[in-house]
Amino acid sequence: MDYAFNWRVVWQNWDFLISGITLTLGVTAASLSCAIVIGLAVGLMRLSKKGLLRRLAMAYVEIFRNTPALVQLIWVYYCLPVLVGINLDATSACIVALSTNGAAYVAEIFRAGIQGVPPGQVEAARSIGMSYGETMRKIILPQATRKMIPPFVNEAVSLLKYSSLVSVLGVSDLTYQAQVLSTTTFRPIEIFTFIGVVYFLVCWMMSSAAQVLERRLAVSDR
Amino acid sequence: MSNKESLPMVRIEKLRKSFGSHVVLRDVSLDVRAGEVLVIIGASGSGKSTLLRCINMMEVPERGRIFVDGQPMGQHKDDGSFTVFPDRVLNEKRAQIGMVFQSFNLFAHLTVLDNITIGPVTVKKTPPAEARELAMALLEKVGLAEKADSYPSRLSGGQQQRVAIARALAMKPKLMLFDEPTSALDPELVGDVLATMKQLAEEGMTMIVVTHEMGFAREVADRVLFFHQGDMLEEGTPEAIFSNPRHQRTQDFLRRVLPAPGAPCRPAPAPTAYIGKAAC
Repeated sequence: MDYAFNWRVVWQNWDFLISGITLTLGVTAASLSCAIVIGLAVGLMRLSKKGLLRRLAMAYVEIFRNTPALVQLIWVYYCLPVLVGINLDATSACIVALSTNGAAYVAEIFRAGIQGVPPGQVEAARSIGMSYGETMRKIILPQATRKMIPPFVNEAVSLLKYSSLVSVLGVSDLTYQAQVLSTTTFRPIEIFTFIGVVYFLVCWMMSSAAQVLERRLAVSDR
Repeated sequence: MSNKESLPMVRIEKLRKSFGSHVVLRDVSLDVRAGEVLVIIGASGSGKSTLLRCINMMEVPERGRIFVDGQPMGQHKDDGSFTVFPDRVLNEKRAQIGMVFQSFNLFAHLTVLDNITIGPVTVKKTPPAEARELAMALLEKVGLAEKADSYPSRLSGGQQQRVAIARALAMKPKLMLFDEPTSALDPELVGDVLATMKQLAEEGMTMIVVTHEMGFAREVADRVLFFHQGDMLEEGTPEAIFSNPRHQRTQDFLRRVLPAPGAPCRPAPAPTAYIGKAAC
């Protein structure tokens, strides 16, 4: 192998790459937040006593889990405007697509987490007169959350990685910036190695933070 | 009947409940006076727990009527069918009825103190400081004040159950329901829980207790009710039920659960504990 590495290309375009990282993190954070809200709603519907709500939630989860994220992304950007007349700019379309996709997985995480709390906890809470909402907020979710942290971090990490798909819509995230730089500098090896490391570091930091959080929340189990 | 004083604390009329095709309660009718301690005994699957759970709507009966302190626990239709109240109404009613479960069901993520204060603070909007004071007084009463800051997983089963009793009492209930409160406990831990219950009975609390602790039934109950296949087969004072059961099935049941005459008594547990002598 006689490839001569030239890492200068990374430092020379530092600001350009940083702007990509910022956008990647922004899109991921926005999508994750929306995914949690939608996912909680869908997850609760999935556990509802009402058959219609349950079936709607199941359909939602199945549709989004069983189609490729890239197809969803393109569909939201190109098809939604035609069908519904809503014109989204590329970044918003990406956030919508990634949120709705992520929500399907988050819904399953909430469902599993809630179902993992012993039913006796609900009975005890309801027997002292707590409402469904109070029981969820004060008894079930705090306990479910602890069990949900590992799968939830998984989901956050995969959402961050999926966010690289937005480059196909011309959204200038980290991957897109790297593609642009590669074609102008002819240094794809250095640039894609660098952004690979960046993706790794961010994901790895998220997983580590989750481990710390998990340990701290486990206090009452000791 | 218009006078509230003349009404029993609990009145159950022709209560019917089935799970699928299996009829669990066959038109059960029952009155429990204020301050009375009613112990329900019977084999597993006889419907005694279901009856208890119908009183605070943990299970919704199909037909019949239930009144607690004169107030209906559900919408009683003219055709005898039973519909549960909307949540908001139901929650208010449940807040007046304490329930103690076989598996304790303490909130695992909360300290002992928070387990007790969460009900008053959330449901009754009691100021937190006041709720804490009440909780500490109740913990004192069940002998666990020093465990206030522990998490339930650090407590023995008997301690957890006493905290669960304190949690129910924190709501200042009119009525306490005990669903096999000692069945999940190691034998040496049963005594403390029964002692707490006995103390509560002596203070005049209306209690309905489903249990296999015949010693407790004999010593503390005002009335014992024998349940068999979804209906009460026999009821009477503990003396009448244990010494002179009329029904063959009651006799069979008691022969199975009581030690044979002359058999050694279970040794009495810790000094403060309730003495299980009455069964012998």
